[in-house]
Amino acid sequence: MKLKETILDPIFKSNPITVLVLGICSSLAVTVTMKGALVMALSVMAVCGISSLILSTLRNTIPGRVRIIVQLVVVAMMVILVDQILKSFEATFPIDKQLSVYISLIITNCIVMGRIEAFALGNKPIPSLLDGLANGAGYGLVLLIVAFFRELLGSGTLFGLQVMPAGYVTNNLVILPPFALILLGCIVWVQRSIQKDLQEK
Amino acid sequence: MNTNSNLYTVIYTTVIVVVVAAVLAFVSQSLKGKQDANEKAETISQMLTAGGFGTKAEFQAMGNAKVLETYGNEIEEAFTVNAEGAKVADLDLAGKEVFSKGQLKAQNYKVKDGEGYAIPVFKFKNGITVVPVYGAGLWGPVWGYIAFEADGKTIHGAYFDHESETAGLGAKIKDDPEFQAEFVGEEAWFAQTPVFAIVKGGAPKEDGKSLVDNQIDGITGATMTSNGLNEAINKWLAAYAGYFGTAKAEEE
Repeated sequence: MKLKETILDPIFKSNPITVLVLGICSSLAVTVTMKGALVMALSVMAVCGISSLILSTLRNTIPGRVRIIVQLVVVAMMVILVDQILKSFEATFPIDKQLSVYISLIITNCIVMGRIEAFALGNKPIPSLLDGLANGAGYGLVLLIVAFFRELLGSGTLFGLQVMPAGYVTNNLVILPPFALILLGCIVWVQRSIQKDLQEK
Repeated sequence: MNTNSNLYTVIYTTVIVVVVAAVLAFVSQSLKGKQDANEKAETISQMLTAGGFGTKAEFQAMGNAKVLETYGNEIEEAFTVNAEGAKVADLDLAGKEVFSKGQLKAQNYKVKDGEGYAIPVFKFKNGITVVPVYGAGLWGPVWGYIAFEADGKTIHGAYFDHESETAGLGAKIKDDPEFQAEFVGEEAWFAQTPVFAIVKGGAPKEDGKSLVDNQIDGITGATMTSNGLNEAINKWLAAYAGYFGTAKAEEE
């Protein structure tokens, strides 16, 4: 596979959320605000990219029988590192608190382990790094789109700044997770009408 | 090399785990200072929020340094008290010493036993006294700060936080300002058991007449969290009964 496809495919054509349907749970939970979604997106990119890089480098030495455990250990390490770093900065500390368990739950995000199994263990380190980053970016893109609508309609703000006129009554349904699922459905719908080969006969 | 032999597998996993542990230990140690500073500012901003010195969002926008400065300006004294309400030790005001979650947790065991504890009291210059509460919610610890008026029984404000309560349900103890506003104006009845209660259908306030008692309404759909918080508030306020009892006697 060409490098260009490695990078571009996960962002649209085989987007982890809308096509592979991975990482749905966290995309419902962390998309109430743009800030939260952005931090989550960057965290997943970092975890996914760097774990892929490390495991791809080690891929020929990993014993087959404990493959999954070794992956888990590396991914868990990355997640803890990201969590610790977010906690250390004044700017990201409140966001880390707001995202609470969802940062630690990146470890259970199927995108990370899925891409490592499917790609990193069979490819060279650099393409694996790019694949991890690109899948994180594809995930993050959907997150940001969902968060854009949810924060705009649910709180009348974007990145915490007021954008709706003063009289705007915030919509509580938008804040709740079910609306994120409806939005995700709409995104899948839009994508499938553009990309006809995804449509089931 | 045979990467599937038992010996190789054992050595390989051992090395990986040791390396990962070393990396994590190193990072954790090197970032600890910064994290503690953030935690401390967070704790102080929660106390100030409970005390009505501003909203949580305002303190968040201020940044750590300003939060500490506000605290320094408003605090009068901070000390720990025991079951009889006698002062045990002063907290370092200049160093803005507060009780961390770990310290609260350690005290919580003793508070449950009802003896041997030394729990903090924060007295502010405007007469407001802030005390912490700590207990177990549904999934993890819940804690918070309750601010009392100068009379030592009327609640001036409250702020609660949690580690991992369900978002949208139990997490409301932190996220729902209306829940925290329910505490305002209520009283803690230190001479009674329970001192304070979160109940179902507790406080009819909609009719405009606010009924002053020692009860507030729990959160619908978060019974376990409400019960946990109820337990935390009760145990801890009961532990402060000695202090608020003495504090009152001195005035009379």
